[in-house]
Amino acid sequence: MAACWLLRSLSSNFSTVLPLLARSASLSPLQLTSKPYFGRTLASSSRLSAALKFTDKHEWIRVEDGIGTVGISNFAQEALGDVVYCGLPEVGTQLAQQDEFGALESVKAASELYSPLTGEVVEINTLLADNPGLVNKSCYKDGWLMKMSISKPAELDSLMDEAAYERYIHSIED
Amino acid sequence: MRGGQPLVEVVRLGLVSYQEALRLQQVYVNRHRSCPAHALLLCEHPPVYTTGIRHKPYPEPLLDQLRLLGADVARANRGGLITFHGPGQLVCYPVLNLCSFKKSVRWYVDQLEQTVIALCGRFGIRATTSPHTGVWVGDNKICAIGIHCGRYITSHGLALNCCTDLSWFDHIVPCGIEGKGVTSLSAELRRHASVEEVVPHLLHAFTQQFDCQLTEAAQDGGESPTPVTSAGTSALTNLRDD
Repeated sequence: MAACWLLRSLSSNFSTVLPLLARSASLSPLQLTSKPYFGRTLASSSRLSAALKFTDKHEWIRVEDGIGTVGISNFAQEALGDVVYCGLPEVGTQLAQQDEFGALESVKAASELYSPLTGEVVEINTLLADNPGLVNKSCYKDGWLMKMSISKPAELDSLMDEAAYERYIHSIED
Repeated sequence: MRGGQPLVEVVRLGLVSYQEALRLQQVYVNRHRSCPAHALLLCEHPPVYTTGIRHKPYPEPLLDQLRLLGADVARANRGGLITFHGPGQLVCYPVLNLCSFKKSVRWYVDQLEQTVIALCGRFGIRATTSPHTGVWVGDNKICAIGIHCGRYITSHGLALNCCTDLSWFDHIVPCGIEGKGVTSLSAELRRHASVEEVVPHLLHAFTQQFDCQLTEAAQDGGESPTPVTSAGTSALTNLRDD
């Protein structure tokens, strides 16, 4: 019964929308779309991986709307082993590129973390306090470490893109 | 490029305070900035309880209780929870650049465990690893491990009970692991095994496990340790203040 109601309300929406489409059909196809089809596909399908940049210390940063989310790479989490503790900075901490911003502990080893860029810590992943294993299970997503503002966007050029990072890993694995 | 075995300098510090050893480790860590110069610091400490980067389990009141026992207390930037260092315990701080070995902290800790297991084997003791980092003889830990790694340079290391007074461990839950005990080479061998006796065996096992060569530190030049005074200070050391 609910489904019927849904269909009826949808069709009533369409009946108002259709005349609009009919009117706009007279416009040229190019004016109907906001972006070229090709561009939209590239942005939506590869947004995550294209925006990831890496440091040689195996941190990654993903910049969206001027805020960089920082984490460690899969290579790093494997080399660490099971993370049991995340020592993260306080919100508001100012960091220069390559400043030590915290440490991860695994197998009784505290491994330092280094800031990929210059900026200010705006958020830390509080879930890691009770669930540090997220860094291993989901290093690019739920296991993010901190978010920071970006004072010097040009520094992004000094970081590796995904392809360069893959090559870098292969060179050190030998 | 890896050609030949890395060279590791053995530095025998003798009896030094924990704080002094931290200072010296930093000297050797900093030395790596100019060139890979691996070092193996060997020492014993006057009685001291140390904690790692996980602060929460050890509030000041608890640490004060430990000070009342006559031990020093220090916080360190290593992994691992609370442990005890004291006379009769061989403390070894490898300050290595993992770039010359393997760039994996997990591998490095594994190698340290295997080194101590091999050493115990030379004494006829069957030691093992467990899900808890460290080296065990049955349910008793004979060697604690806790390290720090920054830019692939290691510091802190391992603490092997040779003839340690194990009653110091009664006042803590060693490494935060409930229901397990501690032991020493002397306890397992039922005879006195001194740190001096054990050192050559540790060095041999280390060269085998890490596939490296050892060299002895020069007597002159370089840093020499400040000898420990009669009453150790109980000031807290937090490396993050550097």
